[in-house]
Amino acid sequence: MAEYILSIENLSKSFEGSQVFNDVGFALTEGELSSIIGPNGAGKTTLFNLITGYHVPDGGKIMFRGKNIAGKEPYEIVRLGIARAFQRTNIFPRMSVLDNVVTTIISAQRRSLNLVRPFSNMKRVHARAYELLDSVGLADMAARQSGTLAHGNQKRLDIAVALALEPKLLLLDEPTAGMSPEERWQTVELVQRLWETLKVTMLFIEHDMDIVFGISQTVRVLCYKTLLAEGTPREISANQQVIEAYLGEEV
Amino acid sequence: MTEQTPAKNVNRIAAAVVVVALFVLPFVLSQMGRTGEYWIWVTTEMLIMGLFALSLNLILGYGGMVSFGHAAFFGVGAYTVALLMKKAGAPLVLALTAAPIAAAIVAAVVGWFCVRLIGLYFAILTLAFGQLLYMIVFQWYTFTGGDDGIHGIPRPEFLGPANFYLFCLILFLACIFVMRMIVNSPFGLTIRTIRENMERAKFIGINVRRYQWYNFIIAGAFAGLAGGLFTELNRFAQTEFLHWSRSAEPILASLVGGMYSLIGPAVGSAVLIFLKIVLQQLHPGLVETWAIILGLVLLAVVLFAPDGLVGIFQKAFGKSGDASS
Amino acid sequence: MTKEYYIFMFVNGLSQGMLLFIIASGLSLVFGVLRVINFAHGSLYMIGAFLAYSLSTVLTQGTLWSFLLTLLLIPPAVAVVGLFLEVTLFRRVYREEHLLQLLLTYALVLILDDVVRVIWGGDPRNVARPEVLGGAVDFMGMALPTYNVFILFLGPVIALGLWYLLHKTRAGSIIRAAVSFPDTLGALGVNVSWVMTATFMLGCWLAGVGGVLMASLANIDLGIGMEKIIECFAVVVIGGLGSVGGALLGSLIIGVGVSYFQLPLGRWALVFPYLVMALVLIWRPWGLFGKPER
Repeated sequence: MAEYILSIENLSKSFEGSQVFNDVGFALTEGELSSIIGPNGAGKTTLFNLITGYHVPDGGKIMFRGKNIAGKEPYEIVRLGIARAFQRTNIFPRMSVLDNVVTTIISAQRRSLNLVRPFSNMKRVHARAYELLDSVGLADMAARQSGTLAHGNQKRLDIAVALALEPKLLLLDEPTAGMSPEERWQTVELVQRLWETLKVTMLFIEHDMDIVFGISQTVRVLCYKTLLAEGTPREISANQQVIEAYLGEEV
Repeated sequence: MTEQTPAKNVNRIAAAVVVVALFVLPFVLSQMGRTGEYWIWVTTEMLIMGLFALSLNLILGYGGMVSFGHAAFFGVGAYTVALLMKKAGAPLVLALTAAPIAAAIVAAVVGWFCVRLIGLYFAILTLAFGQLLYMIVFQWYTFTGGDDGIHGIPRPEFLGPANFYLFCLILFLACIFVMRMIVNSPFGLTIRTIRENMERAKFIGINVRRYQWYNFIIAGAFAGLAGGLFTELNRFAQTEFLHWSRSAEPILASLVGGMYSLIGPAVGSAVLIFLKIVLQQLHPGLVETWAIILGLVLLAVVLFAPDGLVGIFQKAFGKSGDASS
Repeated sequence: MTKEYYIFMFVNGLSQGMLLFIIASGLSLVFGVLRVINFAHGSLYMIGAFLAYSLSTVLTQGTLWSFLLTLLLIPPAVAVVGLFLEVTLFRRVYREEHLLQLLLTYALVLILDDVVRVIWGGDPRNVARPEVLGGAVDFMGMALPTYNVFILFLGPVIALGLWYLLHKTRAGSIIRAAVSFPDTLGALGVNVSWVMTATFMLGCWLAGVGGVLMASLANIDLGIGMEKIIECFAVVVIGGLGSVGGALLGSLIIGVGVSYFQLPLGRWALVFPYLVMALVLIWRPWGLFGKPER
């Protein structure tokens, strides 16, 4: 069990009487890059919301590095080492690109309660922020008001913000949503490069099967309240159940 | 921003000129007899109410939390000074130290409830708790004097009108210095982060409620100091200090002066007090309808200039509206 | 105190609660459709009460027909004030931030409360009850004021009327649709801004009914608007916004609670709504009928 960074057991959740998950369970190996697919409404984002504490599960366990995090507050879960980037861009719009990252680093270092020192003088925090912006290709836009960035760049900033938390596990909710084909592959390359350099465990939701089968080590299929299948891209694309239930319409 | 831009230097020089002028002012005015004395009183009130407006803006402008009960903390500070000086015979310095502490304690209790709710509900609760404190002061006759208030609060002899003005000015500048420090600190950045996107703030590891609570307490403490000074200026405290309509003044001052600037609300507050005096000169009856006028100005600002006068100014001169200064 | 006294206070509290429900349901309805919480709702209720007083001065006091005439004329008058406010002010801020909406209605409280002060002054007033409702009815050997009993029955009548309007009429189904699917309604060819105006007027009408009833129940003065809006907020915190059942239960809890607390606490009983609010917030910050959200 020790090699699992995250293991989900018997997870269930319903909203206003309609069940979204029934007895879902799987485990992530430390350091893997894997994906979650499934038809619209299968609860992929809800799964992320449950893992990160936005929703409280009705039942089941979410074990992260040996601790049950089910029902904890989002900020507590972040501090334990799970960060997420959002499907819809979700940044601090009227702050500069740089300050978006700076405030996150300060929070990650638990220095937010400092009332005395000007944050603009925190040299190492700023150096680190530039480093992160550089890694997602936004260093030359650091002074821009972040709300004025183009959509693709806002999503990159969202990823930089998540990385600033130095997570052990990074959840990416459709990192390429709303992007042009060219931007998509740039982002995929970025994700792959970050994974290789940072050695962080990554789990992403994606609709584009080329991307999913192109970069993931493991693919999991969510369908009709349960985990339908999990395996390597090759196994999944050959799985009869998956083809019938989901891939069939597209492949 | 770490680089020294020319605009920043201009701002610094302008600030220095204003500060020097504020220090010289009472010496000029005291040469002008009774009119001068009146204006010393008015400018002292402007400083105090300016501090009150600045305190609210820590939560309103920087924190994005609309509080309709801020006068409660002003009132707690006012009554702390009044009770300590009149009933316990405490010296002014002690009373003025106790005022922000008492206000902070009350703000901690009230805030603990209020920050559990966001937006709309937060505003509702602040109004309700403000009204509750008003009712307590109103009803608790034996302790607070109820409707009569507390009169005849002593003033140390060396604090004549001009000296009291200078005393308030020094405290005012000290408070601005501290607030500026807070606003530019990691805490200030965190508060703005929450204002910008509360949900996202949780996902970068910020305990949103806790920080909003701290901010609420800090704002309450500054309001308490302002209330204490106001009691000492008037030499009385009365229930009207806590009335809900009092909470409107710093809101309006912040809107008029600009919510996203550090000193804008103080400027807005001075403008409002000046407006009140002008109205009084025009026709004494107009001041009777002060709340209507406040309301109309508030309506106009909300409908036509939601960024405040400073916002208009900044738009005209192409500056950004962010709250770092 | 005797058992009779407790029953008396209970019935008294229930009728206070019904009055509160009439007003709070207006606030809740407006919020449901317009998504604006109208801080000035209490002021409109107060205007209703003072208008009722003014009308009573020109009518023969204490007759049934003057009471009915007041009940017939004043609430629509308040609704007309609402019409004016909605068309000139509220309509401009529906798409704005919450902050601006809050400040707008807050500005209205400042203005309306002071207008009432300028017109009617600060002295307490009241309107004589009509003779038919002026006496007492015998209930289990106790004399209950007929007027309170009347309100006690009028509350459910209005609640039923609202329910019928919302669930059995076409206008009602449009209003309910406006609550649930504000975006699609326009696409179906419904004039959404008209729906909003009508709802706002209905909410103001309810505030006006509350005002008229209050004018003959107790003294009216400049504080009643603020007092009632905060009670409405307490109701909302207890019952959650938009839940009619929650509003009814919340109103009755507040009404009965204030009534009972009057015995040991006197004027301090007014603290009761705050106490309930505080307790609910500790126990269930999302309201008794609401759902937890994060």
